[in-house]
Amino acid sequence: MGTEQIISMKNVCKSYKMGTERLSVLKNIDFSVDKGEFTAILGPSGSGKSTLMNIIGCMDTLDNGTYALNGIPIHQTKEKELTSIRNHEIGFIFQNYHLIPTYTVMQNIIMPLLMRGHDRKSAETDCREIIDMLGLSERIQHKPSELSGGQRQRVAIARALCSKPSLLLADEPTGALDQSSGTEVLRLFTKLHEMGNTIVMITHDMNVAKWAQRTVRIVDGEMFEDKTN
Amino acid sequence: MRFSEILNLVRLNLIQNKFKVLLTSIGVIVGAATIVCVIAIGRGGKADVAEQFRNLNAGALDISYEQSKEKSGFSFGGSVPSSKSGDTAMPMSDRPDFSGGDFPSIGGGSIPDFSSSRSSNSSSGDRSSRSGGSGFFSEFGGGFSGLFGGSSDKKNTENITLSTDDMDDIYSSVPGLSESTITYTTKQDIYGGNIEETESYTVAGTLSDYADLSNLSMMFGDYLSDADNENKSKVCVLGYNASKNIFGSAEEAYDNIVYIDDRPYSVTGVLAEQGTVESGISADEAIFIPYATGIKYLTGSDISPTITVIAEDVNNIETVTENVKTVLAASYPNAEFTISDAGSKMEAANKSNKTLTLMLIAMASIVFIIGGIGIMNVLFVSVKERTQEIGILKAIGGSRKDILLEFMMEACCISLIGGIIGVLISFMISPVLSGLNIRMEMSATGALIALCFSLVTGTVFGFYPAWKASKLVPVEALSSE
Repeated sequence: MGTEQIISMKNVCKSYKMGTERLSVLKNIDFSVDKGEFTAILGPSGSGKSTLMNIIGCMDTLDNGTYALNGIPIHQTKEKELTSIRNHEIGFIFQNYHLIPTYTVMQNIIMPLLMRGHDRKSAETDCREIIDMLGLSERIQHKPSELSGGQRQRVAIARALCSKPSLLLADEPTGALDQSSGTEVLRLFTKLHEMGNTIVMITHDMNVAKWAQRTVRIVDGEMFEDKTN
Repeated sequence: MRFSEILNLVRLNLIQNKFKVLLTSIGVIVGAATIVCVIAIGRGGKADVAEQFRNLNAGALDISYEQSKEKSGFSFGGSVPSSKSGDTAMPMSDRPDFSGGDFPSIGGGSIPDFSSSRSSNSSSGDRSSRSGGSGFFSEFGGGFSGLFGGSSDKKNTENITLSTDDMDDIYSSVPGLSESTITYTTKQDIYGGNIEETESYTVAGTLSDYADLSNLSMMFGDYLSDADNENKSKVCVLGYNASKNIFGSAEEAYDNIVYIDDRPYSVTGVLAEQGTVESGISADEAIFIPYATGIKYLTGSDISPTITVIAEDVNNIETVTENVKTVLAASYPNAEFTISDAGSKMEAANKSNKTLTLMLIAMASIVFIIGGIGIMNVLFVSVKERTQEIGILKAIGGSRKDILLEFMMEACCISLIGGIIGVLISFMISPVLSGLNIRMEMSATGALIALCFSLVTGTVFGFYPAWKASKLVPVEALSSE
């Protein structure tokens, strides 16, 4: 495990305007993740963990503080470059899979590579290994609606992995799955971690967080526990 | 993202929503079909005008005289009939001032012609006379007219018959003329061939150059010759329909005999079919005889001929018209001649056709705008429906440009599909419209214009929804329901 930091956040604050008042969601967050780490961000609903994930995933901006992803100062980066960073540095895995229903499994998986400018054939070739590893070879021509929840999540993981990102960012990856499918996905995360991938997983479930190497607890927008499992 | 991949995504989305695409493009389908039909109708109208005026030369000026039926003031005698020699009117220069008792009419009015004619001619039936011919009488007539008739506004009360002399006079005096001819028409009783009872036909007395000037082509035989006119030969050329009506076919008519006013005429030629004409003699229905023959055997001088002159330069029509008026005014100071210029007629017809086409294009444009608004509405709904999809694409690295292009291309493809369907429909309905006597000239240009219009509609009306989609914030788009 290296000591090079993938995520480095200092004094990150984020607030939203709710009617006439401003609601502070993240308060002076200091958070860092080393390359190759499997970290779980644990917190109850409304604790600010999703906001934190959005900021880590470069989908939302921060009000104050600094944030560097793989050495890139995200807090100073414009939207156009953030799009490219999302494509190159981050692999998203969402609770509801967020697959495009009109595309096939293959079309969904290769989409980040197409966004990067690859042609379809080379993208399909590049993803073949990951598809085989995730056991989706027989399903590539299926539509997401023809798959089980666990299979859909595997497709989402394949999509996240195919662009070979620096960071896998999973938001409640087992939230929509039954226990056995959830366990299957978590085993896969462990395997990916062992393969050297850096994973940050957001969850409200202590049992899910236990699968990670490190758990960071967030309550009311503040970090108050950071422990190694 | 590669453009080809964007197009592929568009293709996937369109295939997934075939019915929606079809419904969305209905406005464009109607618009495109309208545009193609409008252009085809416009072209058809233009072709119609060209066909109807094809017997006219653009530089042609038709000069005719119409005697007013109104008799104003009082008259001293008026015109006394000139000699009914049956020949062409005498040249002006040869005609003595006192010949035929050509008294100038004062203030209009003329002695009516009581001579009977078995045939009804296109003229009023009055005999040829001149109000002065030249010199003294010209001045005298003009003076009296001014004094008694108050005809400073020419009232055309005199009985004037234009003649070959007037034609020669105009041709020799007016510069810039390339050709001239004179014609008249009369209704005559015809029999022969398959006709059992006499039928009335238009008989046109023409010179040999009439066929060339009117762009007439022959199916059989030759057109009338100068010799036919000089010898006053009883020969004729039949129009295509006339030959069919009288003899059953053009071939049968050729070299046969037709009786005009009970006299046998040898058919020396049959014209090819000319089609409907807007102006001049309807050649298909007419029988053409030598000018002098008609005067000798059919009409006497009881005709109202039209002199046609051709201006060498179409742009000089106005000058030529003025010069013709001046020459005629010298011979007939109290008469006003009708001078119609074929180019103006054609121009007017083309102009009205153009106006109609523009009006129809404006209508089609409105249909396109409505169709475009339809596309915009559907795209807005589509953006709303696919907000999460846009969020996903943005989350995994889809740029604003990619999203904008995808939605724009989708709009363009919907309109292009609509355009293609519209063009196909227009080609399918054109026989139906043609069956309703609407002349349509379908063209590839029309189809191309319709497709371009469709594409522009898609681009213009698809831009705003696409731009809105591209501006969506990924995190908000992802969390949308």
